Amino acid sequence: MELFKASNLVKKYGKMNAVKGISFHVEEGRCVALLGPNGAGKTTTLKMLSGLLEPTSGTIDFKGEVGKDLRQFIGYLPQYPAFYNWMSGKEFLVFVGQLAKLKRKEAEKRSEELLERVGLMNAKKRKIGGFSGGMKQRLGLAQALIHRPKLLILDEPVSALDPLGRREVLNMMKEIKKETTILFSTHVLHDAEEISDDILIMHAGEIAISGRLESVMEEYRQPILQIEFESQVDDWLESLVKFSFVSEVNIQGNKTSIVLRDIVNGKQTLLKEIVDKKLPIRKFEISQTTLEDLFMKVVKA
Amino acid sequence: MTQWTVLYRKEMMEMVRNYKILWIPIVFILLGVMQPVSAYYMPEILDTFGGLPEGTILEMPTPTGAEVLMQVLSNYGMLGVLILVLSAMGVVSSERQSGVAGMVMIKPVPYSSYILSKWAGLITITLISLFIGYLASWYYTSLLIETVAFDRTLQSAVIYSIWLVFVITLTLFFSTLMKGNGSITFITILVVFAISAITTILEKYMKWSPATMTKHSGQVLLSRELATNFWLAFIITMAIIIVLLLSSIQIFKQKELLE
Repeated sequence: MELFKASNLVKKYGKMNAVKGISFHVEEGRCVALLGPNGAGKTTTLKMLSGLLEPTSGTIDFKGEVGKDLRQFIGYLPQYPAFYNWMSGKEFLVFVGQLAKLKRKEAEKRSEELLERVGLMNAKKRKIGGFSGGMKQRLGLAQALIHRPKLLILDEPVSALDPLGRREVLNMMKEIKKETTILFSTHVLHDAEEISDDILIMHAGEIAISGRLESVMEEYRQPILQIEFESQVDDWLESLVKFSFVSEVNIQGNKTSIVLRDIVNGKQTLLKEIVDKKLPIRKFEISQTTLEDLFMKVVKA
Repeated sequence: MTQWTVLYRKEMMEMVRNYKILWIPIVFILLGVMQPVSAYYMPEILDTFGGLPEGTILEMPTPTGAEVLMQVLSNYGMLGVLILVLSAMGVVSSERQSGVAGMVMIKPVPYSSYILSKWAGLITITLISLFIGYLASWYYTSLLIETVAFDRTLQSAVIYSIWLVFVITLTLFFSTLMKGNGSITFITILVVFAISAITTILEKYMKWSPATMTKHSGQVLLSRELATNFWLAFIITMAIIIVLLLSSIQIFKQKELLE
């Protein structure tokens, strides 16, 4: 079932068009990753959906409710969550719980539950001012969940964390995913591949690609040759474009990835060339394009 | 509990935790007590430190109690206003800067509740400080100089508080409008003193000005009578306060939170 549908969302800052009329929808119970380079308009889009920012034009239809205050239904974790540092973790949760129209008793009960869940039970009486970045992120996740929102929006939930904190938050998201719809932005493509059901790729204020993760991958999957040399052989690599089976050559130092149209013919011919020319090869691997390749393609286009 | 109450309680809790609830009233008490004490001991102070030649006869008229209290209010008008503005300057701007205002507004909180809870918090601390400080001043004045009728004192304090409420509302307005605490303080103080100065200089044309509240409160102390034009000034001041509050709410709505 459809949870919400955004139609023709536009956000202008003066003359700058941050978001240029995007339309998309999110199904209930899905975990959706919003990808895109910095400045693509991800945060602006999420803020419009959360009700914190008024779109210049366009509508958001949330389960049939159009133009209403959606904040009641949405839990939001901003990229840099901020708190009242003089409050304790629990105090803050009870405070925002009450702001989200929970009764005091209920807010306290729910706070305890969430503190347990995000692993902050030991720190519940400590002042937030002394929390580490990872703890703040987890508290931020707890405050977003306090009123059992129908949609959880997370803006770059893991990009500021160390590998350990990142793992923790990702695992929590996997748990939360079972109960509620999640929309999160990230530029860590690996994370998106790991936990999302659907993806949206934004570029320059527009949606470039959207759909189920598997079907997008399927649709854009291309065979790819990864060759690593011991030294740079750029001349030879640049000459490869002349072959009709080569569609793209990306050189990164000693490593090269070549997107092929015809894998069978391509690998034979190229291997033969390498042997004939006695090029200093180290690795020759056949694989498939990843989400990262797709992302790079969209962004560079 | 409504969201407004939750926010107001948070404001009060914050002032308790950062001791504002303590030190602002203490400043007002000190400002209030210093005046009667120094008026009382002035002849002795001059005697001891004045270095006046032997035999000089000091004709120091002791001020009346009402005069001392008027002087106290005038001190509140300078230092008191400065302290209040400094303590209130970041009320919205700091929360906007840190991003915590966005964390609050991401919950279904009406924009008006946020601004009005801030306002109510500021008014609470201002009135507590003014009344406690002034009460202390009244007590020392009646102890050392002469007793001023309590009802007159109270009346003057109530009238004076209208001026302080105006100043606080103005601070809140600029704190919503601007970001830098320095510029907020500067502009607020500038506007407050400009209004006071213009009201004094162009008295004839400024009978409606909020700054006349200081004059009216003094008038009540001296003569127990409300001067004419009080109600005009009162209504205009209230109207300005309401307009400032409504504009603050509108401006806050337009501001982008969580940048």
